[in-house]
Amino acid sequence: MTHLVEIITTSDPHLRNRSLDAFARQADMGTLLEECAALEDFRKRSGNLYERVRALFFLYAIYRFHLPAKPEMPKRGLIPFEGYEHLLSRRFEEAIAAFQRAWRAHGPSDALASALAEAYHRLGFQTLADQVRRSVRTVRGNQWMFRIGHPADHPLRIRRELLGAKADAGAGQDGLSRISGGVILRERTPVRMDLSHSAWSDIFFLGMDFPEGARVLNVSIDLAVRGRDAAPRPPVEAYLRVIDEPVLRLTSVDLGATADLTHLRDVFDFARDYLGLLKAAIIASGIVPPGMEGADQPLSELLARLVAPGYGLELVSNVNDIPKGSRLAVSTSLLACLIACCMRATGQARSLSGPLAEHERRLVAARAILGEWLAGSGGGWQDSGGVWPGMKLIYGVLAEEGDPEYGISRGRLLPNHKILDEADAGEAVRQTLQDALILVHGGMAQNVGPILEMVTEKYLLRSEAEWAGRKAAMQVLDDILAALRSADPRHAVREIGRLTTYNFFGPLQTIIPWASNLYTEMLIERAKQAFGGDFWGFWMLGGMSGGGMGFIVAPEIAQQAKARLHEIMLDVKRELQYALPFAMDPVVYDFAINPVGTRADLLCGEEALMPAGYYALHAPRLVKLDSGALTRMRRADLDRFANATRSRPEFAGMTKVLFDRLLPQLDHAAGSRDAGRSLEELLSAFGFDRAMHEQIRADLRSGRIGLAQNRLPANVQIEDVSACSPTSDPSRPLVDATDRAQMGEFERIGAEALRDGRVAVMTLAAGAGSRWTQGAGVVKALHPFAKLGGRHRTFIEVHLAKSQRVACRHDARLPHIITTSYLTHDPIASFLVRQPSLPEVPVHLSEGRSVGLRMIPMARDLRFQWEETPQQLLDEQAQKMRESLHAALIAWAQRSGEGSDYTDNTPMQCLHPVGHWFEFPNLLRNGALRAMLDAYPNLRYLMLHNIDTLGADVDPAMLGLHIARGACLTFEVITRRVEDRGGGLARVNGQPRLVEGLAMPREEAEFALSYYNSATCWIDIDQLLGVFGLSRADLDDGDKVNKAIRAMSARMPTYITLKDVKKRWGHGQEDVFPVTQWEKLWGDMTALPDVKVGFAVVPRLRGQQLKDQAQLDGWLRDGSAGYVERLCGWRD
Amino acid sequence: MKITKAVITAAGRHQRDLPLQTLIDRDGIQKSALQIIIEEIITAGIHDICVVIHPGDAEAYAAAVGAHAHRLTFVEQHEPRGYGYAVLCAREFVGGAPFLHLVGDHLYVSDDAEGIACAQQVVRVAEAHACSVSAVQATRESLLPNYGAVGGKRLPNRPRLYQIDHVLEKPTPTEAEQTLLVPGLRAGYYLCFFGIHVLTPAVIELLAEQAATNADTMTLSDALARLAHRERYLAYEVIGRRYDIGVRYGLLNAQIALALAGRDRAEVLAQLVELLATGAATAHPHA
Repeated sequence: MTHLVEIITTSDPHLRNRSLDAFARQADMGTLLEECAALEDFRKRSGNLYERVRALFFLYAIYRFHLPAKPEMPKRGLIPFEGYEHLLSRRFEEAIAAFQRAWRAHGPSDALASALAEAYHRLGFQTLADQVRRSVRTVRGNQWMFRIGHPADHPLRIRRELLGAKADAGAGQDGLSRISGGVILRERTPVRMDLSHSAWSDIFFLGMDFPEGARVLNVSIDLAVRGRDAAPRPPVEAYLRVIDEPVLRLTSVDLGATADLTHLRDVFDFARDYLGLLKAAIIASGIVPPGMEGADQPLSELLARLVAPGYGLELVSNVNDIPKGSRLAVSTSLLACLIACCMRATGQARSLSGPLAEHERRLVAARAILGEWLAGSGGGWQDSGGVWPGMKLIYGVLAEEGDPEYGISRGRLLPNHKILDEADAGEAVRQTLQDALILVHGGMAQNVGPILEMVTEKYLLRSEAEWAGRKAAMQVLDDILAALRSADPRHAVREIGRLTTYNFFGPLQTIIPWASNLYTEMLIERAKQAFGGDFWGFWMLGGMSGGGMGFIVAPEIAQQAKARLHEIMLDVKRELQYALPFAMDPVVYDFAINPVGTRADLLCGEEALMPAGYYALHAPRLVKLDSGALTRMRRADLDRFANATRSRPEFAGMTKVLFDRLLPQLDHAAGSRDAGRSLEELLSAFGFDRAMHEQIRADLRSGRIGLAQNRLPANVQIEDVSACSPTSDPSRPLVDATDRAQMGEFERIGAEALRDGRVAVMTLAAGAGSRWTQGAGVVKALHPFAKLGGRHRTFIEVHLAKSQRVACRHDARLPHIITTSYLTHDPIASFLVRQPSLPEVPVHLSEGRSVGLRMIPMARDLRFQWEETPQQLLDEQAQKMRESLHAALIAWAQRSGEGSDYTDNTPMQCLHPVGHWFEFPNLLRNGALRAMLDAYPNLRYLMLHNIDTLGADVDPAMLGLHIARGACLTFEVITRRVEDRGGGLARVNGQPRLVEGLAMPREEAEFALSYYNSATCWIDIDQLLGVFGLSRADLDDGDKVNKAIRAMSARMPTYITLKDVKKRWGHGQEDVFPVTQWEKLWGDMTALPDVKVGFAVVPRLRGQQLKDQAQLDGWLRDGSAGYVERLCGWRD
Repeated sequence: MKITKAVITAAGRHQRDLPLQTLIDRDGIQKSALQIIIEEIITAGIHDICVVIHPGDAEAYAAAVGAHAHRLTFVEQHEPRGYGYAVLCAREFVGGAPFLHLVGDHLYVSDDAEGIACAQQVVRVAEAHACSVSAVQATRESLLPNYGAVGGKRLPNRPRLYQIDHVLEKPTPTEAEQTLLVPGLRAGYYLCFFGIHVLTPAVIELLAEQAATNADTMTLSDALARLAHRERYLAYEVIGRRYDIGVRYGLLNAQIALALAGRDRAEVLAQLVELLATGAATAHPHA
């Protein structure tokens, strides 16, 4: 048995918990390859789920991190397109087989290793997800729901109490004439906050493999937004009643959405509206069992059986305006609340009112997990903790005989709950905790999903530092439990504050550095300064910080501290608003521990009222109807509501709300504004070219341009390019600059040019980083993305620090031009002024002079993108969600007018940058180049690079190579990995050039190319001016410059792209829309026959780009971060 | 244990007329449903029968059973407190002895190869095991809202016999799956009451305890659930079928079943075939 297989199979915990990294670092390449072969064989043979999964993650890590680090590993290689297609279609086993075949046929390569790593990683997660699904389905009490496929078989009946008082007086066969309605079942559920989750131990995979380490201490709480609500109350509510229409009426009061469902298929269409959570609850509670998915009967048949012929059900959700991203599991709590309500109504819980019994709470939790799976979301197993009362320890349990997991995984899917009693946490301690804790929402709404994946991966790999972190986090939970038992409440809470702070800065960040961010750390620092010794600690809630968070202070200052903390949060948010994605202004909560858990009440007679917001949504529509069109129950409901507006304080003010809804105020129609400026004002300020825009719109609508038209003609010949030594024949276009031994002479030439002040850096920072924050519209250049040199650093800081180091070493001045756009100029300018310890490099800004206006996409382009280009298939449920969403978005585009201006968002979100081809012309237009040449008369060369190419610096050897070869433009390329999609270096009809991914005539053509564009380009200024038909002397002549730019622009292709843009609304809610924009790209300069172009292969660490935050963890672990750090010279 | 008494409950608000419905029995003779039930009991060797009725129904019932009237004792149920209370009303009649109990709205057709009637099968098992026995039938979960159901395990080497651990009245499939799974049954099937029980005096005691709490509605299932914890209590999977004449088309179904199991089988079959052949042209299909 090989060493790694032994680690996986042993029952000895010391060996089992041994780190892969420690072994793989010292092993040579041959040993690693032998281990891989053994692991591959083992994972196919093993019948045990977790052995298989661990072997898959070991294989992933070896191919992703360890083999590429071995010096003898060949870099260049081709990834078979066949394997890539399998990968996209989630046929992971077939993908692995295809990559392995290529490996055997052509030998190992970095490219193939990256493809294998990706396939193993995804197969590992797929295997785990499949097991969770199987377990959820096999929980007793859930199985029947997957067997029921026809409404005639529906085994549930609505509780008679909900049919109204007269039902008891005896009904006929169908009970029709006797149902009076007018009874509402209301469920109210607290949310949960976790004192410690033992380092995300609530993720299913961890609980099912390592139940001993899966423990969470969580507290059920009621909430109020400070300054808005009178007192804390359970934040989520569900209302259910029988209605005299044969429909399923769903209303989400908090999202302002309602729909009457009439067919079974409507219930399974999750993304069609904002009612996905309610639909998931309807399904997971068995009202419409999951086994009916795909059936097409009218719902009336099912409702006739469940309720009575001609009758239906209404389900309403209400969240008391708690913003998204609160890290309090609001959506899971709401799902559990809705499920509990539906289960009570159908007799699946014994009591119609009051709390639930323990076995019922467990079933609600299991159903909530099922519901989350159905709706394509995912939470931890503790997230429905609010269903239970007070404080409780939730812990993983070993699977035993009779459990569906027995023999498959070590632990059960569902944990156990121990409710803490007076001896575990005395009343005084609870009260002091309540008095000392300030609960806030910092305003950031981020996706915690990638973090949970990282946790799973790191757990399975048992890397030394992270495993030590996990053990430390487990100890923190024990220490908090001990503190809660303390007889001295102040001491107890102070100790908890110390422990949660230690947990955040210690174990949690050791495992996942991305749990923290600059915003959080600035808040903690300023809170410490403001409250001094009365600051007792920081408490990260949920999966990451920035949204819901806790600050613990001495109870006596808590009230003032709340106000002060609110000011601090607002201040820091203002400072970072362009750097980090904030969804809303920060809020401070009041909260109270809820000692009951979820509870229900039966509301009868005049009490039978929906929440006020329900009537604000429904009443305006109903009053527009003829009263004869209202059903008996609706009329009665409106009567009760009318009485309530006169007599009940919570309905006071509803008359005004209704009037406002009926007669919307005029200024809503005037459109929104950004910083006081309207869209029209912004367009004219940023140099919007209306004539060009209309031309593009006409071309787009007529089909002359579009996603399909971006492509080169199908008969174009695309071939790979081979590299030669840097010292060989200068006519060869691609040289291999990775061999430093060959670069000595160039290094000397470059160093000399540096000393002479012949070079400057041009950093492209005009973009909003749409992939980086999924279209949140922040400035990527200013994102403090990682800690380097001991502090969070922005992209700009890193680039300046590299130049500072180079300048220092070569005793040179190395000026920077940072190109900006309408979106990034002011924030970057203000950052450069404000930031105290920026590297000492001369910085000049080049403000963008072109802007585009986004358009509603053509349905044709949406279909092309989603249906004709290979798309990553998601897992089953997520794929259904996506298809439903795509249909909704195509309908949106058609409804809104394809190709019309996109104006339904904040004005800044309606504009778009027009591609980096314009950056050099901008230098000419805005005078920045002339100013630079005046200030640095020796300046001849520019190193142009993207903001996210963190490894690019002014390497004298590269500069020297560019100078020696005499090219106008030298582009740096890297060997390709599987994630490097989007074109590359190709010989197109015999001519080497860069081809954008958009322009590839066929998907597979890209897979025949070994090299990928790093987007770093060395420019000979005078030669390039010559290409534009200009000289240095012409730079003063604006007209000549403009004419030259227009002429050159006309030679460049225009690409149509779809970008995701976020639209924010409500309390931290966000929708993402695909919009059309266009761009011209710098790489296309290589296609001009009159430009002397060269290409150089550079090391991957130098040329790789950081496009997605999900790449950060791998970037930190594979040595990339260390490489960048070594290039930087910091001032602090 | 010898069973000599039987109790029929027929006082339910919507069931009062059902025992009076007329059908043609297996021998081709027109009878009331009540009379067919009584003959089922007599076949089991029991001649002393009590019928729990709604006040004032005695005369009509007596008229409906013809020659068997002399065997019947009518007990009136004055308070509508549920099925369990109806059984309790016969307390004096049973007088501390075990008794056979049938509901007044079900008819039974035996499929036993030797032709042993359903009630007789249950009485034989109860006498052999000297304990309460409920007749059960494996029933699809979609029908759970209509029946009481039991959970337990098979008795070794005793085909069709189960030791009852749990009893739930009209359980949801959720509860049923958690507590009523019986090894050996198909997925989604549960043992539901058949409408025939042999009950020991302990059941009457449990019902009396329940009545003393002034519960508004008493189910027999609650008492049986407690019985399972108090003494040996078996379920017997009857070789036969039950027909609930209280549901839509229930009476029609029961009539067809009786006819097809009896003397006039060929005649009725021929009529059905003719009906199908001629009716098919004018029927409105509902998918």
